[in-house]
Amino acid sequence: MNIIDSLRNNAEKNPSKIGFIDEETKITFQEMLNCVEEFSSSELFKNKNEIIGLILENSIQDIIAYLGIINSGKIVHIIPPNITKKNFNNQINSSNPDIIVCSEKNRSNFSNFDNKHLTIHTNEEIISKSTIQRKIPNINKIAYLIYTSGTTSEPKGVPISQKMIEFTTKNIVKVLGYSKNDIDLTPLPLYHSFGLGCLHTSIYVGSTFVLLKNSNNLENILNSLKKYNATTLAVVPATLTKFLKFENQYLYEKFSDIKLIITNSTSIPKETVNNFKQIIKNRKLATYYGLTEASRSTFMIFNENSKLDESVGKSAPGVKIKIKKLDKKLDVGEIIIQGENVIKNYWKNPTADKNLENGWLQTNDIGYLDNDENLFLVGRNDDVINIGGEKVIPNEIEEIIKQIPEIEDVVAFGINNEIFGKTIKVNIIKKKNSKLDKIKILSYCLKNLEKFKIPSKIEFVEKIPKNEYGKVKRSMLK
Amino acid sequence: MQDKKIKTDVKNIFFEVFPKLSEDEFEWEKEQKDYDNWDSFAQLNIITFAESKFDITFSLDESIEIKSANDLLNCINSHLK
Repeated sequence: MNIIDSLRNNAEKNPSKIGFIDEETKITFQEMLNCVEEFSSSELFKNKNEIIGLILENSIQDIIAYLGIINSGKIVHIIPPNITKKNFNNQINSSNPDIIVCSEKNRSNFSNFDNKHLTIHTNEEIISKSTIQRKIPNINKIAYLIYTSGTTSEPKGVPISQKMIEFTTKNIVKVLGYSKNDIDLTPLPLYHSFGLGCLHTSIYVGSTFVLLKNSNNLENILNSLKKYNATTLAVVPATLTKFLKFENQYLYEKFSDIKLIITNSTSIPKETVNNFKQIIKNRKLATYYGLTEASRSTFMIFNENSKLDESVGKSAPGVKIKIKKLDKKLDVGEIIIQGENVIKNYWKNPTADKNLENGWLQTNDIGYLDNDENLFLVGRNDDVINIGGEKVIPNEIEEIIKQIPEIEDVVAFGINNEIFGKTIKVNIIKKKNSKLDKIKILSYCLKNLEKFKIPSKIEFVEKIPKNEYGKVKRSMLK
Repeated sequence: MQDKKIKTDVKNIFFEVFPKLSEDEFEWEKEQKDYDNWDSFAQLNIITFAESKFDITFSLDESIEIKSANDLLNCINSHLK
């Protein structure tokens, strides 16, 4: 059953149920289906290329556009509204759409990105050309195309099939226990596979999907939990950590009706996990590990076993995970994944296809499996520092230095060295009013790390560059 | 007084990098080859400690030429003068 079939199913069984809410409006399943069918019958899609670009924002209008393009038999190329001109042009050159769909507001933002082969249409223009006479073709096997944000390489197009969506969504429902009675609240951007997966899940089970615009507006998210009687919440770990600035009692009240919090695979600070285990006691705090290329490959539902607080859990049903050793001396290796959630190939990119061997995706993530097959992430293959032939995972250095009480945050990375090729530098944020000096840090490292893992440079900094999901922007470190 | 402080700091660097080294075994002229565990990484650790302690940066040549506690002391002094 594809995502449109699921929507149609909901419209037949519960036509008047509110299925979608954003910060401006709410609509029923039947209204959504009507809007999607109207959108997809637009003459502007007739005889156009297989791919339609969509500047996807968090609004019901853009959900209609997303589903409408799929229902028209086309493939949606999902474009983040905050994309740079360079990335936009790279993606457009790769996917080659001749139409881009966006809101009125984004039309002006993207007008200077326009090129002669590309027409930008607003949602309203698409709908104004709809016709009931037009025969809708069969739904494309590929639902959408999304580009991974490469930091050092060109973006890679990841085609997601209807089958992959169905497989992943079924796993989400099975493992986390979503039901049609849920009210699923999220401020996650829909242009990211985490947010989009939440939308698919709500449509699949026939629950109510509540979409907020801004994940930084903490008060709004917390107030919306009660306002909409939300039963599930999907946020990134950084948002959960930021919630902890509020009084515990306040959080207990706000989360009193929440039965599930789902977050994703950026490492979650232990303190955050422990606090939220208490805040939603006896209910589910969960995370998952996945890539755009292999969505929701593991699931972790945190429990009393604190040894697993830093794990991303076991592989999802029907998904296999292995560790490919990089070096005999290291206990960890590259995570490789096989399953129906894994793409068959990248979008017209034979170079990137080398990451796929016999159905196994080389993730470039470094991790290990414990004796019970729980997966732990420790970093990225690109981040491994080779010091005169000795390989060092930055995470190991960071974990040791974080044990020093006066340290707030630390990041370790490689710097060029004429003798060793690379050595380790650490950038450290000290706690307020700390008088900690570099010698104390080096002494602690010497007592707890092998000689080749001792940083050769320490810099005290005010800030460590991180992205909106809390991941360190390593390309910006120096 | 300042010289004495620098000498104490240099000795302490050696005790940090070579934790099994005792006060009796420490000699200013004792050379790298006479230490059991003064390898290239220990050399890097010595340089790192000294640079951090005295807020100086050694050149590649200086880093390579340090083969005893005395060499390190002289090198540090040349930067501080």
